[in-house]
Amino acid sequence: MTTALPEDRLWHLFEMMLLMRRFEESVVKMNVENHFTGHYHLYIGQEATGAAAIAQLEARDTITATHRNHGHVIARGAEPGPALAEIMGRAGGLSLGRGGTIHLSDPALGFLSTSGVVGGSISLGAGGAFARKMKKDGSVHMACFGDSALEEGVAYEALNISSLWKLPIVLLCENNSADAWDKSRGGYTSLVHAANDLRSIPGAMGIPSIRIDGTEVDEVHAAVAEAIAHCRSGKGPMFIEAMTRRWAGSAPLWPELSTGVTDLKMATGEAPMSGEHKAWYEENDPVLKLARRLLKTSPQAKDRMWELDRKAIARMQAAEKFAIDSPMPAPQTALEHVFA
Amino acid sequence: MAEPRILTYREAVLEALFEEMRANADVVVIGEDVAAAGGVFKQTEGLFAEFGANRVIDTPISEPGAFGMAVGAAMSGLRPVFEVMFGDFMTLVMDQLVNQAAKVRYMSNGTAKVPLVLRTTMGLGANLGPQHSQSFHAWAAHVPGLKIAIPSTPADAKGLWKAAIRDDDPVLIFEDRLLYTMKGDIPAGDHVLPLGQARIVREGRDVTLIAIGRMVEFAQAAAKLLADEGIEVEIIDPRTLVPFDTKTVIDSVKRTHRALVIDGAPRAYGVTGEIAATIAEEAFDWLDAPVGRLAGSNTPVPFSRSLEKLARPDAKTIAQHVRAVLG
Amino acid sequence: MAKSKKPAAKSKIPAPKPRKPQPGTRQDSAAFLAIYRQMALIRAFEEAVRSLATSGLVPGLVHLCSGQEATNVGVISALEPRDIIASHHRGHGHCLARGAEPNLLLAEILGKAAGYGGGRSGSMHVIDLEHGNLGTNGIVGGGIPLACGAALTARARNSGAVSVCFFGDGALNQGLLHECMNMAAIWKLAVVFVCENNGYGEFTAIDDVTAGDSIPARGEVFGIPSKTIDGMDVLAVRKAALAAVTKARKGGGPSFLICNTWRYGGHHVGDKQDYKDDAEAKAWRAKDPLPRFAAWLAKHHGIGARKLSNIDQTVAAQVASAVDAARRAPEPDSSALDRHVYG
Ligand SMILES: Cc1ncc(C[n+]2csc(CCOP(=O)(O)OP(=O)(O)O)c2C)c(N)n1
Ligand SMILES: Cc1ncc(C[n+]2csc(CCOP(=O)(O)OP(=O)(O)O)c2C)c(N)n1
Ligand SMILES: [Mg+2]
Ligand SMILES: [Mg+2]
Repeated sequence: MTTALPEDRLWHLFEMMLLMRRFEESVVKMNVENHFTGHYHLYIGQEATGAAAIAQLEARDTITATHRNHGHVIARGAEPGPALAEIMGRAGGLSLGRGGTIHLSDPALGFLSTSGVVGGSISLGAGGAFARKMKKDGSVHMACFGDSALEEGVAYEALNISSLWKLPIVLLCENNSADAWDKSRGGYTSLVHAANDLRSIPGAMGIPSIRIDGTEVDEVHAAVAEAIAHCRSGKGPMFIEAMTRRWAGSAPLWPELSTGVTDLKMATGEAPMSGEHKAWYEENDPVLKLARRLLKTSPQAKDRMWELDRKAIARMQAAEKFAIDSPMPAPQTALEHVFA
Repeated sequence: MAEPRILTYREAVLEALFEEMRANADVVVIGEDVAAAGGVFKQTEGLFAEFGANRVIDTPISEPGAFGMAVGAAMSGLRPVFEVMFGDFMTLVMDQLVNQAAKVRYMSNGTAKVPLVLRTTMGLGANLGPQHSQSFHAWAAHVPGLKIAIPSTPADAKGLWKAAIRDDDPVLIFEDRLLYTMKGDIPAGDHVLPLGQARIVREGRDVTLIAIGRMVEFAQAAAKLLADEGIEVEIIDPRTLVPFDTKTVIDSVKRTHRALVIDGAPRAYGVTGEIAATIAEEAFDWLDAPVGRLAGSNTPVPFSRSLEKLARPDAKTIAQHVRAVLG
Repeated sequence: MAKSKKPAAKSKIPAPKPRKPQPGTRQDSAAFLAIYRQMALIRAFEEAVRSLATSGLVPGLVHLCSGQEATNVGVISALEPRDIIASHHRGHGHCLARGAEPNLLLAEILGKAAGYGGGRSGSMHVIDLEHGNLGTNGIVGGGIPLACGAALTARARNSGAVSVCFFGDGALNQGLLHECMNMAAIWKLAVVFVCENNGYGEFTAIDDVTAGDSIPARGEVFGIPSKTIDGMDVLAVRKAALAAVTKARKGGGPSFLICNTWRYGGHHVGDKQDYKDDAEAKAWRAKDPLPRFAAWLAKHHGIGARKLSNIDQTVAAQVASAVDAARRAPEPDSSALDRHVYG
C-alpha cells in the first residue's frame, strides 16, 4: 500500500486542488455571462491527479497536455488571471488571446503546448523528452493525455520511439472513462478500445506502467515519484494510468456545473449530499475527499480550510476582474507572431 | 405540384443522406460520434436509429486508419460517407486521401474506383481557435483525382450531396458549420445537382464576384450595400472547385469586364489565385481592371473574437474591394 | 454435484490429430504441386526482374521478394477467390500467387501500356481487383486499412470474404497498424494481419527501431491471437493461415501472423547489403523455401526431382515469354497521361 503523505504536503496539494476547482467554476461563470463563446473542457474531477503529479516536477522539467488542460496549467503555477484571460480571448491572456481554452499553455513555465488534436500531447511530449535527454541534466518531460489518445496511431509511434531511445518521459494517461474501474474487455464506456487493460499498450513497447486511483493524492504522488525517479535515472519512460470517474458536468457536449459550485460544507456534513449526484459528492469528488481527510487531522483544520477557500475565491475574483478588464487584442496586432 | 419546402442546411444534408441510404444499401456513414450520438453538430441525427450499427459506424479516434478503411471499403464495393469532425483533422487523413484514394483509379488504369464522400467542416467564426477553424479546400483541390464541393445553401447542399454520393470518384464536401442553421427552399423530388455547374446567385452588370462557401452569403450582403450606391454586382458560386465551371465564370466576366474572387481561407497559394489566373488567361481582352482577390489572412485562425473576425472577409471588406476593382 | 460434471476428465481425451496428407494420393499431390509451382514461378519471375533491372531496363527502384515465397504462397493458398488481399512494396509474389498474369505484371514493372496500370503505376502500385488484390503499395503500412476496409464491405454484404493484409516489419511501427488492429478487434472483422518479417526495413535492423521484446504482444494488446511462424516453411505458413482464415470466416475476428523470413536481394535491386552479417545471410539461404519444400514433397509424396524440374522448366518458359512480351510491348502513348484521373 501507498504510504500516506505528510500532513503539510496534503494541505499544500489541497490548496492547489481548490484553486483548480474554483478556476473551473469561474470559467463556467464567464461563459454563462457571455464573456467568451466557443467550446471548452473542464478538469473537474481530476484535480488530485494533476495537482499531485505536477507538484513534483522541477522548474527545468517540461509538460504537454491536451484540450482538457486548465488544471494542468494552473497546477504548474500559471497565474489564474492571464490563464482566464486567455480562455476569454483577451490581450492579457497567456498567449495574447490567440490560443484560447484548448491551447492554454505557458512556455515560460516549461509548459510547451497543449494540443487540441487528440494524441498530440504524446508525440510533442516525446520531442520534449528528447530535448530533456539531450540536455543530460536529469530533467524530465511529463505528457498528460486522455484515454482516447491511445486510439490514435501517433501514440503508438511516440511510445515506440520513447521506449527505444529511453526518453525521460512520464506518460500520464488520465483515464476518465465513466466507471472505468474493473471493466472487462472493451468495457471502457467513453473509450473505443479493444484492449481490456490500457497498460498492455506501453507494456507491448517495453514500457513499465502503474495503475492508480486518480482521485487519491497519495497514490498519484507515489506513482509519479517513482516514474520521475525512473526517468531521471535514465531508465526510459514510465506510464501511469490514473483512473477517475467522468464528472457529470463533462458528460454532455457542453460542460455544465451540474454538481453545483463546490460546497466544502459537504465535507463537514453541514450541507446535505443528496439527489442524483450523491455518489459523486460522497465518493468521487477528489476535493471533497481530501477535505474530509484533512478535517479529521485537527480541530483547527476547518478554520484553515475555510481560510484557504476564501483565498482561492479571492484569487479567482481578482482573476475574473483582470480578465474582464483586459482588452481584446488590438486589430493592428493581427498579423503578429506568425513568424519570428 | 408539391409545396416548396423550407429546410435548414443541416436538415437538407440529412435528407440527402436518408434518401441515398434508403435507395442504396452500399451507402454507409463512418466517423467519430456519428452513430447514437448523432454527430457533434447533430449532422447525422436519426441515421443510426434507421440504419443501425452496420451502416452508421462509430470509430475510435483513429482518423488515419478509419479513413483508410473507408477507402478500402470503397474499392471493394461500398459507398462510404466518411466524416472528419473538423476540417483541421484532414491533416490526419492526408496520406490515405492523397496517396491512396486520389490515385486508385489512375493507378489501376480505370479498373478500380473509390466512390466515397469525405465530409468535413470549414470556416471560422465560432471561437474554436487555431486547431478547430481551418479551411483546407484549396489544399485538397491541388490533388488530382479528388473532387471538391462546397455547398452554400440548403438546396445546393442537398443536390451536391446526392450527386457526391452517386459519384464514382472521391468527393470532398466542405461545410461551413455556421451555415448549418441557414434556411432555404428545397426543390421537390430527386434533387441532384451535377458536379461542375456553377450557380449565378445574382445578376449584375458592373462586376463579377466569384465567392466560395459562406462567402456567397457575405457577397450577397455586400451586393445590397453596393446597390444603394448604384453598383450592380453579379455573384457566382462555383459550387464545386473540381470540376470547375470555367465557362459560367468567363461568360460573366465577359459581360461585366471586372472580377473579384473571394474565399475565406488564407490567401497565399489559395483558390483565389487559381481562379483569378484562369480569368486573366481566358478573358484578358475583356477585362477593364486587374482581377481582384480577397481572402483570409495569412495567419493561423486566432481564438479571440476581436482578431478572429479580421481573419476572413465580410460584407464590408467585400464592398471595399469591389469599389477598388471599379476604380 | 452430479458426477457427469467433471470437466477435467474430458480434457484427457486427446484431440483428434489433423489429418496428415496421405503420401501419394493424387489429389493432395496436385494441390501441393500447385504450391511448389507458384513458389517456383515467383522465384523465376523475381530473378528475371533482377536481371532486367541490372541491365537498366526497369524504370526506378524495384523490390524483390526472392526468399519470401513461402510466406506469399503459404498464406494465399489458404484463400478463396472471393477473398481480398492488400500487399506492399515487395509485392510481386502476392500478385502472382493471387493469380495475376505474369505478362501484365511484368509489363507494368517495365512501364508498358499493357501493364495493370497502363504503365503509369509501376511495381509498387499494381492493382488487380479481378483477383481480389487491392494492390501493392508504395506507402509503408498503406495497404493495412485498405484490407480492413474490404472486411467492412464483407461484413456489410455478408459475403463471407476474408481479407489479408501483408506488411513488412517496417510497418510494425506505423501507427496505422495499431489503429487498424484496434478497429478490426472491436468490430471482429474478418482480417488476417500478416507481417513478413525479414529482419530489416530498408537498411535498418528491426531491433533498432522496434521497442519491446515481443512482436506478438502488439496484437495481443487488442486481444488478437498472434503467432510467430517459420516463414521459410510454406506448410507451416499455410497451416497457420488456414486456421486464421477459417476463424475469420466463421466470425471469429482477426488474427496476427508474424512470418519470419529473409529477402535475398536486399532492399532493392542494387542493394549491396553491406549492413548485413554474412553468416546470418548464409544461415537463411540454408532455409530456402523451395529446396526445403521439394525435399518434403519427395519424402511425403514420393515426388521426384524430375517432376519438379519439369515444373521449373515450365515456369522458366512462362517467365521468358513474359519477358519477351513485356520488352517488346509498346510504351503508353501520350494520351495515357491524363486518362483515368476521374471517372
Ligand atoms: C485528432 C482529433 N480527433 C477528434 C477530436 C475531437 N475530440 C476532442 S476531445 C475528444 C475526446 C478525447 O477523449 P480523451 O482523450 O479520453 O480525453 P477526455 O476528453 O476524456 O479528457 C475528441 C474526439 C480532436 N480534438 N482531435
Ligand atoms: C510511409 C513510408 N515511409 C517510408 C517509405 C520508404 N520505404 C520504402 S520500403 C521501406 C522499408 C520497409 O521495410 P519493411 O516494411 O520491413 O518491408 P521490407 O522492405 O523489408 O520488405 C521504407 C522505409 C515508404 N515507402 N513509405
Ligand atoms: Mg477520456
Ligand atoms: Mg522488412
